[in-house]
Amino acid sequence: MIAVREPHTTSDLSRLDEAWAAPETFAIVPDKSPIDGDALVSAAQLLPVELRHDHFIMMTSGSTGEPKLVIGNRERAAALARVLHARQDSEAVRETIAMLPLSYTFAFVNQWVWARVLERRFVQTGGLANASTLRAALTSARNAMVCLVGAQVPLLLDAFPDDAFPGVIRIHFAGGRFPQERLGDVSRLFPCADVFNNYGCAEAMPRLTIRRASDAGVAEHVGWPLPGVELRCDAADAMFFRSAFGAVGVIEGGVFRSISSEDWVATGDLGQQSADGAWRLLGRAGDVFKRHGEKVSPLVLLEAATSAWRGGLACYRDVDAFGEPGCVLTLSPPPDADSVRRLLGAVRRHLRRAQWPLRIECVDTMPLLPSGKPDVQAIGSAPSRRVLWKQYL
Amino acid sequence: MTNKDRLRALLQDVFLLTDGEFRFDLKREDVDTWDSFGVVSLAVGVQQTFGYHFTPEEASGLTGVADIIAVLESHGIRFDD
Repeated sequence: MIAVREPHTTSDLSRLDEAWAAPETFAIVPDKSPIDGDALVSAAQLLPVELRHDHFIMMTSGSTGEPKLVIGNRERAAALARVLHARQDSEAVRETIAMLPLSYTFAFVNQWVWARVLERRFVQTGGLANASTLRAALTSARNAMVCLVGAQVPLLLDAFPDDAFPGVIRIHFAGGRFPQERLGDVSRLFPCADVFNNYGCAEAMPRLTIRRASDAGVAEHVGWPLPGVELRCDAADAMFFRSAFGAVGVIEGGVFRSISSEDWVATGDLGQQSADGAWRLLGRAGDVFKRHGEKVSPLVLLEAATSAWRGGLACYRDVDAFGEPGCVLTLSPPPDADSVRRLLGAVRRHLRRAQWPLRIECVDTMPLLPSGKPDVQAIGSAPSRRVLWKQYL
Repeated sequence: MTNKDRLRALLQDVFLLTDGEFRFDLKREDVDTWDSFGVVSLAVGVQQTFGYHFTPEEASGLTGVADIIAVLESHGIRFDD
């Protein structure tokens, strides 16, 4: 098996091009991989012989935080790229600018595979870690597409307070909460872009549904299944998919598990389908919990908070003095007193008391994962963390 | 900070009341968030702020801010400052 380090610039891409063209299965190794080279070779030994060629392997932290290897099929990924191209009305798009690591399945399939299959230009940037290079790439963009996670929006506004990038005509969000309330800001930065909300998971490799931003008014509305994708939920609202494009196997905890095209696979989310066939997320399956007997979803709390707070936002679990679980809301940058009052007003208007956060805290800078999502594990040890409001429980 | 200021800040935090909503003559029925959880939260907050722990009967029998002050004053916590 070939191991390919994730590329950081367009000139780094030749190794990935070679790996895709070679018959042998390859793995994209993130910079800060929890799996070293030896472990990767050992894991590759678990692959059935038929998966040792024409496939690729992505690494993900998995819903449990334990590293997981997800095996994709190159033909399936290429077929999904063509479906996305049609559903995203992308014929006019000439290039794509990568602002996320290519070890992230979203960027790899929606951008790199898409560019390769549809013969478009692919531009790799270091993202916001190198803002001047990113600004240059976005400024020189012509009929470009970008893929973002919602947490990047406040960072982009902070990095480019006076810029607009009219050369970007498509923006796809995935991998986190869709920034429905920030679409005005997105439009200010990218005035000529059509915006889409994409939903999926690593095992879907990676897309399941899509909608245009203008098709709904709430972030949790993730749109309609792509052609070739089926979705259902069980009595507890847990969502499952079956996809013609999904991963063919997973290696987790030293065990290989095959995924056939007939298998229903859990997405890890809770959801409901509406009469028009669209899906609405209710929360992460592992995140929804009971507090004083009432169901609590961090997603609902974040939805309420974003109606009153436009900065960075994260939510993590803790327990109160009685041992009951609850959510802690973390803001960044630190808000002024009026902003905290507005936020508390939104909490009171939109949420029952069981859903109120245990605390509202702030940090100077939100710690982020390489994917751009808030690193909730790191928030607890952030030196600038301080409590702005708390429940007396 | 006076005890009245402390009580005001506490009740605004416990019931999420704005400056404009808070009054010392507020009744329980005026406050939609003075629910059963609110009663428990109020008792914990009073204990942490004033060092007095309401009995369950006192906590559930409170009909407004004036009652809170009356109970606390009966235990030597002054609000005439």
